[in-house]
Amino acid sequence: MAGGISLAARLLAVLLILVVSVFMLAPLAVVIVSSFSASEFLIFPPRGWSLRWYAEILASRAYLDAAWFSLQLAVVVTILALAIGTPAAIAITRHAVPGAEIISGLFLSPLVIPTILLGTGLLMMFSRYAGGSSFWALVAGHVIVTLPYVVRTVAAVLARADRAAEEAARVMGAPWWRRYWHVVLPQARPGIAAGAFFAFNVSFDEAVIALFLRTPGVETLPLLIYSKLEFSPDPSVAAAATLMILLTIVLMVALDRSVGLDRVAA
Amino acid sequence: MKREAFLLLMPGVVVLGFVFALPVAQVLLLAFDEGPGQIGAANFSKLFVDSYYPLVAERTIRLASLITLVTALLGVPLAYVMYRAQGWIRSALIVLIVLPLMTSVVIRTFGWLVILGRGGLLARTLDMFGLAPRNFSLMHTETGIVLALAQVLLPFMTLTVLAAMSRIERNLEEAARTMGAGIFATLWHVVLPLARPGIVSGSLLVFALAVSSFVTPMLVGGVRLPVLAGAVYQQMTSTLDWPFAAAQATLLLALALLVILPYARLARARGG
Repeated sequence: MAGGISLAARLLAVLLILVVSVFMLAPLAVVIVSSFSASEFLIFPPRGWSLRWYAEILASRAYLDAAWFSLQLAVVVTILALAIGTPAAIAITRHAVPGAEIISGLFLSPLVIPTILLGTGLLMMFSRYAGGSSFWALVAGHVIVTLPYVVRTVAAVLARADRAAEEAARVMGAPWWRRYWHVVLPQARPGIAAGAFFAFNVSFDEAVIALFLRTPGVETLPLLIYSKLEFSPDPSVAAAATLMILLTIVLMVALDRSVGLDRVAA
Repeated sequence: MKREAFLLLMPGVVVLGFVFALPVAQVLLLAFDEGPGQIGAANFSKLFVDSYYPLVAERTIRLASLITLVTALLGVPLAYVMYRAQGWIRSALIVLIVLPLMTSVVIRTFGWLVILGRGGLLARTLDMFGLAPRNFSLMHTETGIVLALAQVLLPFMTLTVLAAMSRIERNLEEAARTMGAGIFATLWHVVLPLARPGIVSGSLLVFALAVSSFVTPMLVGGVRLPVLAGAVYQQMTSTLDWPFAAAQATLLLALALLVILPYARLARARGG
């Protein structure tokens, strides 16, 4: 009898996995398939196949400029988020900071506070005191929304690491910089790698803050795609989106090789 | 020791203060600004002049509730399957959840536009089974928004519940099974109650994200089905009534805080 129930449960599990797979992957799949369309319009499934839309975007000033802007933005944001978030995570996990809970809550709060509120506030602040939006306005906004990822991943890794090693270094008189460079940072490395992955990805994909701070010359790749979607998208949008998905896959594989996706997800 | 911690935290606190707390405070202050030197709630009473904004708020809450329900119905069983799965199946399921999560919301919504539109994948599939006419479309419908946003937010539910399930003692489930409980009885009486804090956290998180979501409702629902976040954006960029936009954003924050505060308390109780 137990075998019968187990079979029913197994079938249900398989059914669930099928439904969720279609639900989660269909939106990505139709974008990828559409990008190989030969036709002028976005029809699914495409009537014919070609790589013309890839040729088109790789020759398009608008796409290349936006991609270059997004890449610079994501790199600067990742470096700053690591530089600010890693020490904060070390302090939260390794030092008996008074009010540690409140501080760590403060660092994680941009994850749940409506991004639209931050976008509104940044637009008000930069137009009032800095003469309008700029690359650095967007950097500021993105550092805030990526910090929680860095703090979280680094703190999670440090919480599991052996504290005795740092204590030993301290007792044996290692200067502070050697203690950090030889003990704490190597221990935190998997968390830093995962944090860098999230920070880069989130910044490269982010559209809400970017929409608020958009001015001529401050246009990211997701923004360019968004504005094309508002009017009549042609398959070039699908080609650009497919390349972005490909970049995400490459980064995920790299993260899996270096740290292990399983550890990051759970 | 104290000084070291202080120095480590300093950069983060300064940055959060200047580019997070300050802009947010500015919005909150402007919301109560009634012109030079005047403070009051006039911007908020503008929300109730006619039924437009109350309807927008009602739609936003209704959609967020439905999305939370859909993600819970799919995400909780999925989390359990992930929790029990091993080897390549587990890895494949993690990729299934994390890859879409790490793909831009703009791109995922684009995919939904292709699926939901007239003559799109969904219309064709339903037409094939004779379930709906070919010109069937879920664009500019609340159902379309719920479907698309549920896909966007399902990973948050699944990963939160999975984290809670991973803390359940395996022995408890074993014990129930050895004592003769079937798998479904075990799920209902043992796993589900133990996973409840995770389910509650996941639901609060998804609701908070859904209520303030912007890109997906704007693109799928369009101007005909505005939500609160879209209204804020319109006021900020088209109408340019910033104090009114600030009042709407403040309302949105209040709505989100209603679920964020219990969420934070739960997270702290778990020590995570």
